[in-house]
Amino acid sequence: MAFVSIRDLKVSFDGVQVLHGIGLDIGRGEAVGLVGESGCGKSVTWLAALSLLPAKARISGSVRIDGQELIGAPGPEIEKVRGARIAMIFQDPSSSLNPVQRVGKQIMESLRLHRGLKGAMARTEAIRLMNMVGIPSAETRVDLYPHEFSGGQCQRIMIAMALAGQPDLLIADEPTTALDATIQAQILDLLSTIRRETGMAMVFISHDLGAVSAVCDRAAVMYAGKIVESNEITALFAAPRHPYTVGLLDAIPELDVTRARLQPIKGTVPDPKYLPTGCAFAPRCTHATDFCTTDQPELKRQPDSGLLACFHPAGRYKTETLTRREELV
Amino acid sequence: MTPILEARGLVQQYATGRSLFGKPPSMRAVDGVDLAVREGEILGIVGESGSGKSTLGRMLLGLETPFAGEVRWRGQPMPAPRTDMWRRLRAQMQLIFQDPLAALDRRMTIAAQIAEPLEIHGLMKGAEAAERVAELMARVGLRPDQADRYPHELSGGQRQRVVISRALAMRPKFLVCDEPVSALDVSIQAQVVNLLRDLQEQEGLTMVFISHDLKVVHNICNRVAVMYLGRVVEEGPSGEVFGDPRHPYTRALVSSIPKAGRGLTDRIILQGEPPNPAMRPPGCAFHPRCAIADAACAGEIPELSGHRGRLTACLKQRAIIPATAA
Repeated sequence: MAFVSIRDLKVSFDGVQVLHGIGLDIGRGEAVGLVGESGCGKSVTWLAALSLLPAKARISGSVRIDGQELIGAPGPEIEKVRGARIAMIFQDPSSSLNPVQRVGKQIMESLRLHRGLKGAMARTEAIRLMNMVGIPSAETRVDLYPHEFSGGQCQRIMIAMALAGQPDLLIADEPTTALDATIQAQILDLLSTIRRETGMAMVFISHDLGAVSAVCDRAAVMYAGKIVESNEITALFAAPRHPYTVGLLDAIPELDVTRARLQPIKGTVPDPKYLPTGCAFAPRCTHATDFCTTDQPELKRQPDSGLLACFHPAGRYKTETLTRREELV
Repeated sequence: MTPILEARGLVQQYATGRSLFGKPPSMRAVDGVDLAVREGEILGIVGESGSGKSTLGRMLLGLETPFAGEVRWRGQPMPAPRTDMWRRLRAQMQLIFQDPLAALDRRMTIAAQIAEPLEIHGLMKGAEAAERVAELMARVGLRPDQADRYPHELSGGQRQRVVISRALAMRPKFLVCDEPVSALDVSIQAQVVNLLRDLQEQEGLTMVFISHDLKVVHNICNRVAVMYLGRVVEEGPSGEVFGDPRHPYTRALVSSIPKAGRGLTDRIILQGEPPNPAMRPPGCAFHPRCAIADAACAGEIPELSGHRGRLTACLKQRAIIPATAA
């Protein structure tokens, strides 16, 4: 059984539904990417799972960790999971850290809450964690304030805080988006090293397909509150099936090709208040037929690999063998 | 061919903090930049935060007076700020910012905002202005019925189109785009990039495109200048600079771009901290993070000069010449 399993998770704010039944399994030690544009529900999925959404959010469905149900669980139960079993890091590290508290104290708070460490032991452990995430001379810098660190180092401290509870799953919500290219490379490297060393699972939420493919085994593409395609990283990038995934890959300029015009996806993301009746992507889709505007495709397991929610998938395989295989199917 | 815009030895420095006695400490954001923008080209300026790219862009437009050095527009020095000459010139040069919501007035309809520069410069009024606004909106792909909308009613990509059409209102010759697509989603980003390319190709606009996104810069720019701590470390045609980067910093920058479908292999991970302009290392500013730096690099600031047919500012590039010849 999957370590974390999400089933039919739905969220709505003030009567506007933003998540339309998410289903996702994460195995132990697995790294899963969640890809999509702003507003597609990538972050809301995990904020809902950890009861971090404002009270007005209406949540239904099921999120289980090792069989334990999180949706609707009483506060103290959730608190035992949050930080200790599932930790989360966010896009903007400097606004997630408390600016008037020394970073060491903030890491130690996490150690006290989740592992009951106190005093000198907590301090030693905080320094060990800071070393682990690559903060130079951690012994002397443990007593500095967040503003005395750079953006990349603040993100490292956030990661150290998240690791303090020895979580089984780390949710990284756009952890590198606010960082410079060379620092982004350092953080991606750090995250995959830590994952290798601790064996924890990771969910990597990002709009950057390149970053996702660098650190994940598998990725799910989300559009307008639904997963539209998911597959192993290599298959997803070599042979995307959903027209939206194809569009996203085509819209990103590449460094090693000629300067061809980009292929944007026409139109914009639909307003969650006025979603199309059929497939939410149909108005922007080049493959769409009348059928797509009236009926919603379900996310179905595909014969070769992966899951897909589309009536007219793209058969754009890059190798001949795969093309033949598709004909057989 | 004389460049449309030329920067010579541009330096900008800001006072940081205050001191009771003596001079306040200062920080050099831009530290001696020579740059020429040719008519009709898109010149990319890339670099990490704090490398001085935005400051450089503002000086090119005359929005900031350089501490030293000068900017020449069609061979003539820039007129003094806030003079009539300066205002006339400003109409030909426009700036597009990263955050369109901050650049737009939330209490004005978008048609009124696009018409505003026409009124300020006293070019047209009333029906004539309305016609021009409609033409501009169509040019950037906005629908006529969106004219009476307010910025908050539009999506991010549409807002950036409003900002672009407003900048185009004065029929500028020169645009500085400061991270114009960084705040946009991938699919929308491609729409705006294509729009900017159309403007260059169809209207012969000259642009300086400032961005930290190398992939976008490679796609849109003819030439690029890579900045590190206020200095240009490498410059050349974008295909060459990204295809065969020479400066160690450019190499690390190019290799740090995650590529779809490729893992963390073959990447140069730079050690050390992002540069802090207030504490500029002596010699080559990149040497503390550079894999091939030696003692000489700490002692001498390399000039941007031709090595093996390319412009780089690196002492090691000189050393490579005999090595490859041998």
